[in-house]
Amino acid sequence: MLQTFESTETRDKPYIIFDPQNNRFEIKGNSLPEDTTLFYKPVIEWIIEYAKNPNQTTHLICSLEYFNSSSAKMLYELFIELEKIKDLGKEVKVTWYFDPDDHLIEEKGMEFQSILQIPFQLKEKNN
Amino acid sequence: MLFYFLKGIINLLPMDINTTYWFFERIKEDNLCMLYSGNFSDEITNKLIELSEYNINNIDALSKMKKKASFLMAECFQNIVRHGEKIKRLHSDGFFLTKNWGGVYYITSGNLIEKNKIKNLQNQLEKVNSLSKEELKMLYREVLENNEISDKGGAGLGLIEMARKSGQKLDYLFENKDDTFSYFYNQIMLKSDVDELNKVVSDFPLTDSISYHKKMVEKNIILIHKGDFSQDSIFPVLKIIEENLQKEFHDSTQKKKIFHILVELLQNISRHCLKMGDKKEGIFLIGNSDSNYIINTGNLIENKNIKKFKKLLNEINSLNRKELKNLYLSKLRDRNLPTNGGAGIGLIDIARRIISPLNYDFHPIDEKKSFFTMNVIA
Repeated sequence: MLQTFESTETRDKPYIIFDPQNNRFEIKGNSLPEDTTLFYKPVIEWIIEYAKNPNQTTHLICSLEYFNSSSAKMLYELFIELEKIKDLGKEVKVTWYFDPDDHLIEEKGMEFQSILQIPFQLKEKNN
Repeated sequence: MLFYFLKGIINLLPMDINTTYWFFERIKEDNLCMLYSGNFSDEITNKLIELSEYNINNIDALSKMKKKASFLMAECFQNIVRHGEKIKRLHSDGFFLTKNWGGVYYITSGNLIEKNKIKNLQNQLEKVNSLSKEELKMLYREVLENNEISDKGGAGLGLIEMARKSGQKLDYLFENKDDTFSYFYNQIMLKSDVDELNKVVSDFPLTDSISYHKKMVEKNIILIHKGDFSQDSIFPVLKIIEENLQKEFHDSTQKKKIFHILVELLQNISRHCLKMGDKKEGIFLIGNSDSNYIINTGNLIENKNIKKFKKLLNEINSLNRKELKNLYLSKLRDRNLPTNGGAGIGLIDIARRIISPLNYDFHPIDEKKSFFTMNVIA
């Protein structure tokens, strides 16, 4: 089985954990790296590798505080790779958390929801 | 009569697109210049020091004196805050400038002081300035032991320490604010070679700093940053604004929106500005107007890129919100576009969230480059 992918959270990079063994897939925190492509390249590559032998169910939790527009493009790339897993007949879904008074993150979630072909659920965080 | 009437109205106008160049022209030679005008909470103070420390660290000749500079800045801030302790208004109206120019690092602070306190402060300043290095040391010990000056505004020890650590006479001015208050301004120069400091003929008198502060007050500008726009120097700037937003807004959507616009604009400078040496240089201003924030950015751009860029800006400005959203989504989905900026996706997303079009201007510098400035109201 593929090794767990984990990245440390910094002030401009999110915490990411993709752990197929425990079926835990999560992105949280802030995403506004200076070089977005550089940061997300290994993330996307990991997903592509994972898609060769995915779990029966892949449930990605996104709970981002803030992300910039170039991160939005990379997140889209990531969701597209997830779509491909769904096309293999496996179950894939995304839950997108937002603070009840954070309309920006809510709206960004709705936008992704409107252009993606995977179950994409928006959920308020309960603090 | 009419002239003064009109002048009065013009002075009330908030920051516009021309304000960027007004400041840029005056500080373009600086490696770095950061100006802040507004309230001085502990958080903002800490961030201002953090930003200045980062900047000092980046200047080879000065990195050795980072500690001293931080100490002096903290002392300036304490003067600002301490003087404002009892009266809330004093807290909300301070000025701070750091600047690196020609190998010299300047620190300027300004704070309101009640007019009836000026005489006492001035006496202390004159006393400190009249003493030699040895005498200052003695006075410092004396004050430490007797604790006497503290009930007279607390400036005593701080002023003595500033004079001792900076190795100069204190450079100060009082400027009338209104019937009750004046501003107390103070400026320090730092140079890696202290002995050389006395030989420096400053081309940056305190009156220049004061004229910048006046302009900032007149145009309701909170912060100006001219210098490097790499991520490490952008971050403290963002944090200062975040702290300031925290105080101004209870509506977190508005806060988030302004933060988002700032990130996109500042990262745009970092990605697209014409590099001077290895530096990503630009200028950025943020100010208030009623319940809105006004953000100006400026950076140098190669003339050959102007045409393409203008086309993009005009296209964005010709679209309504719905069309902008559709354009944004189509760019998001277009996997042939570069993922690391350049596709205009950031600008499109900004345009969706501001109340004015993207105001912009190209000011020709020479046959190779121009100064590009943008002004948005959010």
